[in-house]
Amino acid sequence: MSDNANYVELRGINKHYGSFQASKDINIQIPKGRLVALLGPSGSGKTTILRMIAGLEHPDSGEILIDGKVVNNIPGSERGIGFVFQSYALFRYMTVYDNIAFGLRVKKTPENEIKERVAELLKLINCEGLEKRYPSQLSGGQRQRVAFARALAPNPQILLLDEPFAAIDAKVRLELRTWLREMITQIGITSIFVTHDQDEAIEVADDIIVTNQGRVEQAGTPQELYANPATPFVVQFIGNSIPVKNYDQFQYFARGGPDTVAILRPEFISIFKKGESVQFSRSAEEGVVEDIIFRGSNLEIRVRLHDNLISAIRSINDPFVEVGEVVDVFIYRLFVVDGDRVTMEYNQSLKRESVVI
Amino acid sequence: MKKTRKSIIPGFGLSFGVTISILSLVVLIPLCSLVVFTAQLSFSEFWYTITRPRILSAYWVSISTALVAALINAVMGLIMAWVLVRYDFPGKKFIDGIIELPFALPTAVAGISLTHLTTTNGWVGKFFYNVFGIRIAYTRLGITIALIFIGIPFVVRAVQPVLEKIDIQYEEAALILGADRKTTFRKVIFPEILPALISGFTLAFARSIGEYGSVVFIAGNTPYETEIAPLLIMSELQEFDYAAATSIALVMLAIAFIILSVNAILQSVVSRRVSGLA
Amino acid sequence: MELRKNSGPLKWVLIILVVIFLAVFLLLPLFYIVITALRDGIGGYIASITDPYAIKAALLTIRATIWAVVVNTIFGIAAAWCLTKFAFKGKKVISTFIDLPVTVSPIIAGLIYVLTFGRQSFLYPILDGWGIQIIFAVPGIVLATIFVTFPFISRELIPVLTAQGTDEEEAAALMGAGTFTIFRKVTLPHIKWALLYGIVLCTARAMGEFGAVSVLSGHLRGKTNTLPLYIELLYQGYDFTGAFAASSILVILAIIVLALRVWLERRGNKEAEIHY
Repeated sequence: MSDNANYVELRGINKHYGSFQASKDINIQIPKGRLVALLGPSGSGKTTILRMIAGLEHPDSGEILIDGKVVNNIPGSERGIGFVFQSYALFRYMTVYDNIAFGLRVKKTPENEIKERVAELLKLINCEGLEKRYPSQLSGGQRQRVAFARALAPNPQILLLDEPFAAIDAKVRLELRTWLREMITQIGITSIFVTHDQDEAIEVADDIIVTNQGRVEQAGTPQELYANPATPFVVQFIGNSIPVKNYDQFQYFARGGPDTVAILRPEFISIFKKGESVQFSRSAEEGVVEDIIFRGSNLEIRVRLHDNLISAIRSINDPFVEVGEVVDVFIYRLFVVDGDRVTMEYNQSLKRESVVI
Repeated sequence: MKKTRKSIIPGFGLSFGVTISILSLVVLIPLCSLVVFTAQLSFSEFWYTITRPRILSAYWVSISTALVAALINAVMGLIMAWVLVRYDFPGKKFIDGIIELPFALPTAVAGISLTHLTTTNGWVGKFFYNVFGIRIAYTRLGITIALIFIGIPFVVRAVQPVLEKIDIQYEEAALILGADRKTTFRKVIFPEILPALISGFTLAFARSIGEYGSVVFIAGNTPYETEIAPLLIMSELQEFDYAAATSIALVMLAIAFIILSVNAILQSVVSRRVSGLA
Repeated sequence: MELRKNSGPLKWVLIILVVIFLAVFLLLPLFYIVITALRDGIGGYIASITDPYAIKAALLTIRATIWAVVVNTIFGIAAAWCLTKFAFKGKKVISTFIDLPVTVSPIIAGLIYVLTFGRQSFLYPILDGWGIQIIFAVPGIVLATIFVTFPFISRELIPVLTAQGTDEEEAAALMGAGTFTIFRKVTLPHIKWALLYGIVLCTARAMGEFGAVSVLSGHLRGKTNTLPLYIELLYQGYDFTGAFAASSILVILAIIVLALRVWLERRGNKEAEIHY
């Protein structure tokens, strides 16, 4: 029974390490051919989920299904998965060639087929000519690609990657992200990777599963998570979040309950020099610029507004603002967190103005 | 089968089985028989055996000579480790290589050689006897010499790796802050190597108390003078008095246990102090 | 390294102190054995070491040594694998018991075997019924030798395997490799030099064990005398040339062991440099 929407499925998974509960009632469905990120802070249980799918750990209760079959009692080696370890776990005493060939040799593949497959993979990962090197003689990026090739060599149905970019320099990491995404899309293999870096997840994954304290907080496409965060944790974790308590002092936002908190994001805010904007001149509020941080391609402006320090982005091409300058601040919308509930509030003047105009 | 599910790496059952079987055969069953035999001893008999003056003096000979030897080895071991790590000189590799000789050379061979050298007719013994009037072989001094020989590697090999790892920045920082070399050593280097020094010392001490092969020849084995505790166990065994042999052995095991426990406590105190400072 | 190199006269004082100390305590006894062994000329030396009892003692020593190395190698690999690759309760207890034999006096080691297999033991009638004699016989010597060298190999392997972690084995297991494939292809290359090193140490100690073997041997010339016991016998019979001649064999073996040790360490470090 093959169900493409639920190619990998976890049902009611619980897992303890001693008294620490690493997984609390995990339910996940992963469609065939998707590239999925398990995103969460360290200790949130994301790696445990990955290792349970691989058969490296075993749940205390619950079922793991792959292609409609319960695999709880099937050893990891027979689940049709390829695994890329965080530190790659390349065999240090084997050459690149022997590393990639290992899985095929275990399966008693004829040596000439192995040769072909390894050559094919080396070409795919752009490491031709490195087959006689040992892992220690490779760069970080090369090691990661060899680990990727080794995992792919036996043609697995699912590729699992544990923090695939953690051990690489910042600059190479950006290149590899794009490379990995292209590679996986090209091969079309169902892939799950673990990361604690939201940028990485948003940039690389088709779908993101956000984990926190052993639970799944929300699953969805990056756009969905961004636009409709389901839980306070997701609001704070995805995107650049600035919590604000006294948001009822902002014009055109009604206060919710007494314990509610608003979450602002830089992209929800526009800053104008006095008189710069015609559209929002009446509905904007005044704030004072406290700091200007050059971010390479744009400027982050920190503005004091009703005793809150909030950040906004301004283009380098816009007229320059200075520290101490009084500016117009316009907030388009914000998230309101009330207990476990998250709602989006829009600036009420937007409606009114559209009515006026 | 909880255990086989725990890890994806195979071979737990096999390796665990082999480990436990051999461990039981070689260590656990013999230890149990010691416990069983001990349980059959009457306490008064045990107490009478271990408080005989001849046996008390043997414990004293064993402990005092082992302590002196271990102290000398601690000082010399520290100096040797320092010289081997910090200085370059011709023959350094050779010296580094022969430090382990006492491990590799059978104790009985070392014993007869040291004895022959230090009798009043021997090369070394003659000199000391004629010039200073000191006898070495067949005295406690001789026992101490043999114990120094077998204890040489312990302190060097404990301190050497730690000394190698000390970051030169510590010393540079101390010198820049105006400390002279002596202060730098005392305040910066010594605290770092102290745990290793203590543990090397305790190992040498514990080993020396139980040492038999190298000591038995040089000791002369005069009751109340140069008779060591392991030798007494040996002679009780030769008279098939297993109860007396076991009683003496139990006290020695207790002493070894105390020494190793003191070491464990000191290690945790020192490491807590160091990590507390950092 | 400027700071550490420049240390004036203290350097030479300490070096000379160390050289004198080691020369007196280590080299002089060694040198003395060779001189005394050759005191009656080469002919006397050869006669001493080719004495049939000397040869029989040497053969028994070799036998006990091979047993100890084989048993401790199997044990060392199994114990190191089991203690470093798996999580289970009781690990600490097991490693304490593994290390115990080296902290126990060799005489006490002998004693506990006498208590286990001697006449007063409940095992004695059973084993006697099967015609097996352990103490005052060769099996006792073999057991004592295994005991005193028990942790030598596992203690070399455990730190290496702990530092290496379990990632590589997990990766291999995920690809479907079995126990022996993983051990041979993945783990063994990591521990190869440490294993050889442990075997060398075990051999050295096994050849020279005196105390424990002395308790368990019946001291029967040509039957249950190992080389060290044979040396003791000659020495007590005032055959000093014979005793030192037999000792010289063990001295040569000790020097070979030390040279092997240095060589193995260097090879191991060189290889580790390539792979780490």
